Amino acid sequence: MAVKVAQEWFSICGGCEVTILDVGEPLLDVLPELEFVHMPVIMDHKVFGQTGEKPKAEIPEADVGIISGGIRNEENKELAEEMRSKVNFLIAMGSCAAYGGIPALANQFSTEAIYKRVYQGNGTTIAGPTPDQDIPALTDRVYTLDEVVKVDLKLPGCPTTPHMFVAALMHLLKGTPFELETKSVCDHCPTIREKKAAAGMTLKRPLESVEGVGEPLNTVRCFMEQGFLCQGPATRAGCGDGDTPRCISAYMPCRGCFGPLSHDANPMVDMMGALSTIGLNPREIPDRAAQFNRFAGSGRLRQKRSRRR
Amino acid sequence: MNDNGYEPLIIMYCCYWCAYTAADLAGTSRLQYPPNVRIIRVQCSGMVHPNLVIDALTNGADGVLMLGCHPGDCHYREGNLRAQARADAIDMMLEDFDLEPERYRLAWVSASEGPRFAEVVTEMVEELRELGPSVYA
Repeated sequence: MAVKVAQEWFSICGGCEVTILDVGEPLLDVLPELEFVHMPVIMDHKVFGQTGEKPKAEIPEADVGIISGGIRNEENKELAEEMRSKVNFLIAMGSCAAYGGIPALANQFSTEAIYKRVYQGNGTTIAGPTPDQDIPALTDRVYTLDEVVKVDLKLPGCPTTPHMFVAALMHLLKGTPFELETKSVCDHCPTIREKKAAAGMTLKRPLESVEGVGEPLNTVRCFMEQGFLCQGPATRAGCGDGDTPRCISAYMPCRGCFGPLSHDANPMVDMMGALSTIGLNPREIPDRAAQFNRFAGSGRLRQKRSRRR
Repeated sequence: MNDNGYEPLIIMYCCYWCAYTAADLAGTSRLQYPPNVRIIRVQCSGMVHPNLVIDALTNGADGVLMLGCHPGDCHYREGNLRAQARADAIDMMLEDFDLEPERYRLAWVSASEGPRFAEVVTEMVEELRELGPSVYA
């Protein structure tokens, strides 16, 4: 009997859904065993019924639920709870659902400030009132899925990798536990660390290329030691599927999309340690707190208060 | 105690060779200082990772006071200078975590400076009483 899958998307760009479609041929192996009962991105199945006849949002019963995106409004929250009550196993897919992702960068600002900026203070938009009719209200900040409902598995990544998605599905179908990588991107990075401090070097922006593009990576010097900000030390490995991490293999510094190494890790503190070991000055990093928590802002980034003096 | 009964809790790291001995001296000399500090003895101020400071401050401590030997007097030659280098990183993190800079203080107290030990503690406690509870408290 096919395993029933329900999928829903919340505060997200849609990249994780592309990951599902991007699985390629392995998808043909798993498809006969899956039956998608709800998936707004590819099928016309409405939560209020096809003609809006149901009084309450409903998601059909399923064995596995997949949710991508964080909780940004009351509708997301309601659907997350509905999904949780209908599925046996809930997967938070992608860094938005797992850690807040890019949308959680907004957690640095109050909802009023965001409304003001978007509807009144934006140079390319004609200022107008904040819409409040027939739309779900925003939550006070962006939440990860597991801050709202119980989550059985988190698949990090922005977007998560097709390989990891298939591996997780395969484990689920077989009934074996799926484990995430516990090491950091640096542990999987083939570049050379000379362990010589780059003291006095100014931080380079990734607008310029690293030295050694095109050469075998095991002859290239660590990007951070070259003066580029790389989030590798504070980021979970796994994007390279056991091989070289994705961005590193493209000669780009890690941007941290796989999120922190563990649930209670603090990338800001870890990165600060790594930077001072190498001798780069963290003061040169624009928007430091946001940069270090770029994909893990939910619960880690907070609104700045006006300072008491 | 201030008007609303708030008392700050300060985690204090004292190096074994200078500051902790100074704390001992302050005790044996029966010097008075506020009881708001919890002293943790470490071998050297240079061994306290910034993580520990941030963890303390985000898990309920109102302040962290780090005491080491005077520059040049470190038993391990330059441990206290490392602590000073880390203080800069800690300052930045306080900013990022939305904590007031007063919540972390690094000071030098030699083994013979019992009175200074009491003075530094008193000063810090008074400062924090005025500042009020931390946002993480």
